[in-house]
Amino acid sequence: MIRLVTAFFVFAVGLCAYIIYAPMMGKSASPDPLGAEVTRAVTLPDLAPASEPEAAETAPATAAPGTQDLGSMIAPDMGSRILAASGGTPARTAPTIQTDSSTIEETAAAVLAGLGLQTGAPAPDGGMLDMTSTALSGIMAATGKAGSPAAPRTALQDLVVEALKSGETDAGIDTLLNAAAQAGEVAVPEILVTANGRVDTAVLLASIISQAQIANGGAAPAVPATPTGSQDGVEVRIVQKATDSEQFRFYTVSQGDSLGSIAIKFYGDAGRYPAIFEANRQFLSSPDQIRTGQRLVIPDL
Amino acid sequence: MLRRMFWTLGGVGLFVATTTAAQDVGITRNMASVTVVVNGQTHTITRNQDPAHQVTGDAALTSRPCPPDCVTPMIAGPGVATVGELEVIAFLSGDVSEGRGLLLDTRDPGVFAGGAVPGAVNVPVATLDPANPYRLDILIALGATAVGDGLDFTNAFDLMLMSGGPWAEDSVQAVRHLLDAGYPPAKLFYYRGGLQAWQLLGLSTVPSDADG
Repeated sequence: MIRLVTAFFVFAVGLCAYIIYAPMMGKSASPDPLGAEVTRAVTLPDLAPASEPEAAETAPATAAPGTQDLGSMIAPDMGSRILAASGGTPARTAPTIQTDSSTIEETAAAVLAGLGLQTGAPAPDGGMLDMTSTALSGIMAATGKAGSPAAPRTALQDLVVEALKSGETDAGIDTLLNAAAQAGEVAVPEILVTANGRVDTAVLLASIISQAQIANGGAAPAVPATPTGSQDGVEVRIVQKATDSEQFRFYTVSQGDSLGSIAIKFYGDAGRYPAIFEANRQFLSSPDQIRTGQRLVIPDL
Repeated sequence: MLRRMFWTLGGVGLFVATTTAAQDVGITRNMASVTVVVNGQTHTITRNQDPAHQVTGDAALTSRPCPPDCVTPMIAGPGVATVGELEVIAFLSGDVSEGRGLLLDTRDPGVFAGGAVPGAVNVPVATLDPANPYRLDILIALGATAVGDGLDFTNAFDLMLMSGGPWAEDSVQAVRHLLDAGYPPAKLFYYRGGLQAWQLLGLSTVPSDADG
């Protein structure tokens, strides 16, 4: 009897130990943070090797390559791959600009409305900005506090309308917008923030133009031919699944890219960015957080 | 002593006194008027001294279409106290005058400009709606501080919220929006009577010609 109890006890202890240690073993056994589905599957032999060094190159490793610390000896590739997957550079050094939850469509519609073209797009939040400003000044007056310096006071659309009316060039508008954004005077839609922390004026202007074309009866922008060359930072992988093979496109973010410009590059329309954002949620806390060297999955529409 | 004499006088010869400038219509037995200092401006809150005065215009309306103007519940949100005119007056002369509290009128700017409780600040309910992309600015102006991803309301103002009357859902919604944003219920007060109840008692409004 006592033998039976002892045997059962030993078995129970063994089971507990297995339960505690098994998940940890599982974790260390899968070093790839990119998502097991994609990379663990069989990749085409000619494409796969080319991709690995590229990812390692674009991501500067935190430890100097010469130092033979334990981590780099065990997994020389892992650190850089984690870095590439999670954010490219450890920290963005460029000044951050303020974003708000307005969408690029709203902003474009507001600009067009300011220029006298009603697009029928959702009403811009300019009225809300005014109402908020009035309420704020009432609160400030009653509480005797100066306006908070962080609060943007100019609407992005007003700035763009003014610049367009005064005949500024694209470059001029870009300079103007970036100066205002750096000074914290204006907040921009999140997808207009580039990897190096600037405002992607080109995407904003392109969206205004395409929205104006749609409003005038033009066709919606077509999905462009897929850029495929590795010189474009694009990489195509075909993954064999149980029943069929699926094609994944990856894009390595370069300096001047914003989520809006990437959406235009692949989908022809900045407004389609949510597809990319959702597919990369594990690396992107918000659409303005893309970084140079980051590798994004580009889902097919 | 003098004040008690006034009251005795007022009780005895009511209609004689109406012709004089004396305070025949007090706010409470011991309070004829209250002085409130908000925004560097001094407001005196009294009641209309004409015992025959009746509300007219908007303040006299009984049957606003519902929806949208439906009868509101007594309690605007869990833990949020509902208050009446005396609490509003005490709040204005105490918390608001001393910079600890704010009386928020959540109606639209247009109607607010037509007449409001002295010292009230116009913060339309739409600006407190989560759909307002600039709402954070308002919450910060109300004393919230950003802590990580959230907001800390420890040093935020005590807020009393009001709108047009017990038929106006603006203030109820504003209370709910603030609660959803994390505002502590203990710092919120709901003046359900709103401007209509205020005017029904002949209490002062600004601009002063806007009383019903």
